Amino acid sequence: MEQSSLEATVDKVLVQKWIAEIGSDAPAAVPLLQAVQNEYGYLPREAMNIIVSETDISASQLFGVATFYSQFRLDPVGRFIIKVCHGTACHVSGADRINTALRQSLGIKDEKEDTARNGSYTIEDVACIGCCSLAPVMLIGDETFGNLKGADAQRSLKKHARQHGEFLPGHEEKRSEADAPEKKSPGKKKKEML
Amino acid sequence: MSAQPSTPVTIIVGEGTCGIAAGAKDVFETFRDMAPETEIKTVGCVGMCHEEVMVEIFDDEGGSYLYGKVDKKSIPAILKFHRGEGALPGDHLIRSSVQPDGAEYLTRQTRIALRNVGRLDPKSLEEYRERGGYRSIEKILTDGISPEEVIEEIKTAGLRGRGGAGFPTAVKWNFARSAKGDEKYLICNGDEGDPGAFMDRSLLEGDPHSVLEGMLIAAYAIGASFGYAYIRAEYPLAVEHFGKAIQDARIAGFLGKNILGHAFDFDVKIKQGAGAFVCGEETALIASVEGNRGMPRIRPPFPAVRGLFGKPTIINNVETLANLAWIIEKGGAAYAGIGTGESKGTKVFALAGTIKRGGLVEVPMGMTIREVLYDIGGGPSTGRPIKAVQLGGPSGGCIPESLFDTPIEYEALNATGAIMGSGGMVVMDTRSCMVDIARYFLEFTQIESCGKCTFCRIGTLRMKELLTRICGGEGTMEDIDMLENVAHQVKSSSLCGLGQTAPNPVLTTLKYFRDEYVAHVEEKRCPAGVCKGLITHTIVKDRCTGCSICDRYCPVDAITGVVKQPGSWVIDQELCINCGMCVEVCNFDAIRVQ
Repeated sequence: MEQSSLEATVDKVLVQKWIAEIGSDAPAAVPLLQAVQNEYGYLPREAMNIIVSETDISASQLFGVATFYSQFRLDPVGRFIIKVCHGTACHVSGADRINTALRQSLGIKDEKEDTARNGSYTIEDVACIGCCSLAPVMLIGDETFGNLKGADAQRSLKKHARQHGEFLPGHEEKRSEADAPEKKSPGKKKKEML
Repeated sequence: MSAQPSTPVTIIVGEGTCGIAAGAKDVFETFRDMAPETEIKTVGCVGMCHEEVMVEIFDDEGGSYLYGKVDKKSIPAILKFHRGEGALPGDHLIRSSVQPDGAEYLTRQTRIALRNVGRLDPKSLEEYRERGGYRSIEKILTDGISPEEVIEEIKTAGLRGRGGAGFPTAVKWNFARSAKGDEKYLICNGDEGDPGAFMDRSLLEGDPHSVLEGMLIAAYAIGASFGYAYIRAEYPLAVEHFGKAIQDARIAGFLGKNILGHAFDFDVKIKQGAGAFVCGEETALIASVEGNRGMPRIRPPFPAVRGLFGKPTIINNVETLANLAWIIEKGGAAYAGIGTGESKGTKVFALAGTIKRGGLVEVPMGMTIREVLYDIGGGPSTGRPIKAVQLGGPSGGCIPESLFDTPIEYEALNATGAIMGSGGMVVMDTRSCMVDIARYFLEFTQIESCGKCTFCRIGTLRMKELLTRICGGEGTMEDIDMLENVAHQVKSSSLCGLGQTAPNPVLTTLKYFRDEYVAHVEEKRCPAGVCKGLITHTIVKDRCTGCSICDRYCPVDAITGVVKQPGSWVIDQELCINCGMCVEVCNFDAIRVQ
């Protein structure tokens, strides 16, 4: 599978630096994993092994913690993460549709997958981000987008991809057509009409 | 219509998470470019999320103008007006010192916990000091007020925990105060996991020092010398602002050894939560801070006796803490003067969903749900009537319109089957399906169940399966009975609050909206038009113009037809996944959902 190419190369010195800064006792487990994930976007097995061998944290504790909290991921991710909020307000205002729209743009067809084949974007569902009045909401990287309809989400993604030199896979045959509504902004037009 | 303003001297841009999401950074930059002569500052979230981006402009004669929904395009007009060159941009003006009325949204509120949010720069200790900050802890230390007296004052105030359960704060503190041991801990619970609640985020982001001062007061009262602020990692701005507040307070001598020259030591460290709803439960939160899986344990011993690292520990919610400095300054009696019998003071709610003026509101206890929704929230945003309001997130319930005159009090809300909760208030109109809402919450609690108790672990899964079946049109009347039966068992046989309250969304919707369940089962119909298995999308031929936009957005290529030939367009029901994308993009309301 293409996704294996997303595996990160772990810098042992860096992990050791975190251990020195954060600590090597049991309470350090969560912040250590957070440091690893901040760097690599997920928890590479190699980094986990380094932590287990160089701290007092046992493998069972570390993996127990890593699998318990929803923040942690054991699989590699795309270069950008799209967090789609599924808080109550977002659910009521159509968050599922944002997922459908984004998956369409990214050409992710397999229900079990969440990363585009070219390793550009990963879609992640998150519990409330806390901007309920802007529901439905998504984050691409650190940037928040609110009051979305499915088409708006696609447009924001397209814009982001253009700005960051990523290209959106799939739907090549539809591409020229799909680009067309962007200039006319159908979503916006509808908003004004309402 | 109003007097000409004089020269603007200060422009304030609201930069909370929602402000930023609405484009506050852009607005800030544009003002800086276009009005370089003026001081431009940022504040936290004002709470009027529906009006974001919000900008307040002060002129040199003390006048102030609050604008909403400001974007790059509206800035030139606003600046023109303030330079005496143009008319008042009335569309954007919410309120001004010249015309103070018109913002009932704010006047019906009583702001205690939120007293500074949106009014000061959260990154400035000086501004907090100017607004009377740290005066309460100074008063306690310099006047030699004893910890017992502090607890007494909070008891007089009648303050109850704002995290959800509403346990009296003074009683909790007394347990820890009288517990043996020199080492005690205070934890600020900012693990706001309820989907639909964001008051803690707003407080930590918009007024971190008042939470920190609250921690100082609580620590002094119980005799703790170290504290943790447990904040969700999903709230990066809150972590940043609170971290800055800790640093500045340390430099100013409000944290550390011998605070303000008195025999009181206290310091705080931030622990970032890693995303687990169950960690809102005290013993689970402690397990998490200790570096373990956040699983609750049997109480007693209560954390106040044996908590973090085996030491007496008090866990207070962010909003509870934000009230403390006010209570010490104005007196417990003043706080108790607000609210009703057993529910004193105010409560902050996060108003969201299909409501006109969504955002953070702080109201005196005893106000009715209807007053909050209509007088403050301005009623429904969709033109369709409000059907229900969801209080308390996954632990709470749906309250129907017929009970909107229920006052906001712990006991009165419990009687409806919902709970006060941490303050999420999600408004739903007739397009929301109550069975789907119940399914949504069960899906959430099932994932978040830590797995320790069988009833919670398997019971929530069974309930979710039953609800999914009903939503999919495959449910039977026996399923509804079974659902009710399992709900009661999970409620009575789970160890912690998560399992005990997880069935609430099911039980309240069954109680008030049973007809919707029955429609799903007997008529195979979703009255709100939400449940995908029970609806169809079709094209209304006389409305369709043949523009083909629906085809372009359909993710499964189920729509076919000839461009500009309205009659030719059809949706293939075999392929259609009922995602609703076509409904959203159609400019002519030509897709019918049945």
